[in-house]
Amino acid sequence: MTPAEPEPAPPPDQERELEALLALSQRGREKLERLHEVLTTPGHYGQGATPAAVVYRENKLRLLRLLDANGRPRSGPPVLFVPAPVSRYFIIDLLPGRSFAGHVGEAGFDVYIADFGTPTREDRFADLTYYVEGLVRRCVRTVLALTGAPQINLVGYCLGGTLSLLYTALYPETVRRLVLLTTTVDGDVEGGIPWVAHRLGLAGESYDEPRLVPAAEVKSWFEMLAPGSNSLVGRVNDLWDRLDDAPERLREVRTMASWVDDVVPAPGRLLAELYRKFGPGANGMMKRTAAVGDKRLDFAAVNMPVLSVSAEKDTIAPPAGVDAVQRIVPQAEVLRLPGGHVGIVAGRAATALWKRTVEFLGPGESA
Amino acid sequence: MADEKPTTDPPLIERWLAEQQQWQRTLLTYLDSMVKSDEFLVHVGNAMRGSLLAGKAYPMPPAPGTSAPETPADDKLDQILFAVRQLEGQIQDLRLTLDELKAAKKPKSAKMTEPAGGKDPR
Repeated sequence: MTPAEPEPAPPPDQERELEALLALSQRGREKLERLHEVLTTPGHYGQGATPAAVVYRENKLRLLRLLDANGRPRSGPPVLFVPAPVSRYFIIDLLPGRSFAGHVGEAGFDVYIADFGTPTREDRFADLTYYVEGLVRRCVRTVLALTGAPQINLVGYCLGGTLSLLYTALYPETVRRLVLLTTTVDGDVEGGIPWVAHRLGLAGESYDEPRLVPAAEVKSWFEMLAPGSNSLVGRVNDLWDRLDDAPERLREVRTMASWVDDVVPAPGRLLAELYRKFGPGANGMMKRTAAVGDKRLDFAAVNMPVLSVSAEKDTIAPPAGVDAVQRIVPQAEVLRLPGGHVGIVAGRAATALWKRTVEFLGPGESA
Repeated sequence: MADEKPTTDPPLIERWLAEQQQWQRTLLTYLDSMVKSDEFLVHVGNAMRGSLLAGKAYPMPPAPGTSAPETPADDKLDQILFAVRQLEGQIQDLRLTLDELKAAKKPKSAKMTEPAGGKDPR
């Protein structure tokens, strides 16, 4: 046998197969390199984008007042954003240049955001009264005191919209205009988190012996409603596919993921009360049986201009359940936008919502 | 005599060897980052769950018993703590009412001073 004898070339079929495998290997490696780059590059995660001052604190709540480019509060009409207390507040102030609250501020409004913070064990006893009559009401009072304005504009997102609507029904004289974003009003419309428990035949949370519902469990409810994200394999596949994107795009995805996956524990008593009063079957808003504490709600008192926005592909707040607000607040303007629950507020096409909201709120400071 | 053009791709076997070396470099980069930063480990763990969540670990179910009070005394303590939180709110209501009364007595142009809270460090 001669040592210098060249190796025979692989047969053409085998060579093609090896070429394909090599390309696959390169692609997988490049994805991992891109992932490494994204994981080790600083980005904007886990906090709001616009400079803000804390103007009120209570328990875990912080009331933020957005500042202008010179670090000063604005003096336009006040707008209070009320996000859902089961998720982090910064979805409405996501990225510099991509912030709903920042956009409203730049339009000349004095913008405030209620950051409910992360509940701890003792907060499992917090109920609807604590949130509506307590935290939301005191936020509004603080803003009115700070600005000297007689009324405030309220923008509630998801469950924050529910709190805003209930607050407005109790204290309509303090609300100038109300914007409800993906806020379920008709609990009998199938879909959304209350229906997860209902379909599974579960009793839901206990009002009398509430627990602090762990973040992972709250997250699992959202995942059940989002096709593709409810299994480990599905999520890993999604991420693997995404790694073909450019690192800049991946950083944006990471900012959004850092909101979506950063849910907070939820007070069990609040969830129990919401389910009992407004969930499937009870449907207290549509049946006009709703009350906060011992105060019966009168939706006829909600007589100011109201804008309610639903999302066509919303699996968390089904659009039909959101648009039903017109049946209890007839003057409400209903707007259905293409997109999902989060996308219409902070996605790439969210400017449609931001612009409409600013138009609806009327002239800001400069007008 | 004209020079022969070099072939654009090296032979397949050489490309496979180069690819293997690239993989080793990539894996070493990961190992290096893991050794240097605990946070990177958390982020890799999140990625292995399909999440790009930054700054904290992907929410996982807590160990049994960690979210519920362990003893009736813990439960009572939580109730007392929450009652204190409610009292805190009622005191704030009182303060706001006093401010409103004061503001009502002042000329309309005067506004309440901003309570001390500090800038949000963002």
